Amino acid sequence: MTKTTEDDRLLIEAAQADPARFVEIYELYVDRIYSFVSRRIENRAAAEDITSQVFVQALGAIGRFEWRGLPVSVWLFRIASNALADHWRERARTAQEAPGVPDPHELEDIERRIAFYQQVEQLPELQRQVIRMRFVEEKSIHEVAAALDRSEGAVKQLQLRALEKLRKSMASHG
Amino acid sequence: MAERPLTDRLDETIDALVARRDATAALHDPELAPLARIAADLRDYPRPDFKARLRAQLEGRPSMTAVSTTPAIREGFSTVTPYIRVREAGLVSFLAQVFDAQETFSGRGGGGGMHREERAGDSMVIVGEGGGAGVMPLRPVAFHVLVKDADATFKRAIAAGARSLGEPADRSYGERSGFVADPFGNHWYISTPIGPESFTGAARTVTPVLHVQGAADYLGFLKQALGAVEDMRHDEGGRLRYARLRVGDAAVELGEGEPMPGSFLLYVPDPDARYEQAMASGATSLMPPADQPYGRIGGVEDARGNQWFFSRP
Repeated sequence: MTKTTEDDRLLIEAAQADPARFVEIYELYVDRIYSFVSRRIENRAAAEDITSQVFVQALGAIGRFEWRGLPVSVWLFRIASNALADHWRERARTAQEAPGVPDPHELEDIERRIAFYQQVEQLPELQRQVIRMRFVEEKSIHEVAAALDRSEGAVKQLQLRALEKLRKSMASHG
Repeated sequence: MAERPLTDRLDETIDALVARRDATAALHDPELAPLARIAADLRDYPRPDFKARLRAQLEGRPSMTAVSTTPAIREGFSTVTPYIRVREAGLVSFLAQVFDAQETFSGRGGGGGMHREERAGDSMVIVGEGGGAGVMPLRPVAFHVLVKDADATFKRAIAAGARSLGEPADRSYGERSGFVADPFGNHWYISTPIGPESFTGAARTVTPVLHVQGAADYLGFLKQALGAVEDMRHDEGGRLRYARLRVGDAAVELGEGEPMPGSFLLYVPDPDARYEQAMASGATSLMPPADQPYGRIGGVEDARGNQWFFSRP
């Protein structure tokens, strides 16, 4: 992430002047927040709900946001951290500690995963479809084969090729 | 193991990862391990339409003062709520006596009967008493209920008029469980987790159990129509005997057995889309989505007779 605090300040000011411009903040940070949340929640729907909450809450609060030089990401990660703690508290009925903002090691991992997901978008269409169906829609190989009108063996081959391609492209990314 | 094709080994690893089962064995297979790591990252790959939908939602709410999320789920409810229809009163007092259920709402239903909402632990059950023929049939449903003391709850159930279907005993799946049928025929599998095999760590107090014949086929339907996600499964002799599925923030259990279809209310962000998805998966329409005073709702019945009503408050 190469954004400077000056960029962040300008983004905040623009969104405060015109809330429609909040989407610029959203586009910059949605992958990072989702990545932070999804690693802590083993339920895609809940990870999406919490990510939604973060941005809806941030948009609601942006008028009151006081610029103190902290990156926007820290503000959003704090909202996400509290939302996660609320979610766990609700489920466990006991006090749950908020995870806090990610440390540099986790930030690095988040950036790596965002780059990785961009690589998925670069896969050939058919391979990308298999990846989406298997991992996002959580379909079985049998269901994917039926949906794509291919044999299960062919889908397994596509799946293997997609993962090999991703492994190679991530290796070349360093 | 290693002589099996890499495509198959990888596919099994992906199955385990997606179902959140232990997939660490793959890390001991040098050919498979790097691909398994890639697959583990893909598990969190964001749904492509999610970001677009959220962006649209944010753009549709430009006012700083008017921002509020309309909850997709009514407060106090989870994604799946069973709706039990009974001919006459009595089930509500059974629930109160046995499970300490509290009534949170009671009112006259659309069909002239009583619509009663009961909370047991952290779970809601809706009871429809009496009324006209309506869309939902009168029929019993099965539930897995988690309690602190299965023996004491079992005794209370018998005292409240239930019939024993199985005395409390330590079960191989890590629970002490006793089974009863209430006077209306609903089955209650009363359980207290006692061992690590129990899969109930994060479960709610009451989880509906769908008994069907041909559970494996039906599992495919539930995934496709409801977006259900398999959390765990138990196969015997190559056949699916039991599965636990996540639906939104709730769960349903699926068991091979004598069919006991039920009716369920699902709170979903987009009832129309879910209705269409269920119809496309082979369900038949009970009521196309329409706006009602209490929210938008549409319903379908699947081939096994289970009814699913999709609603947004």
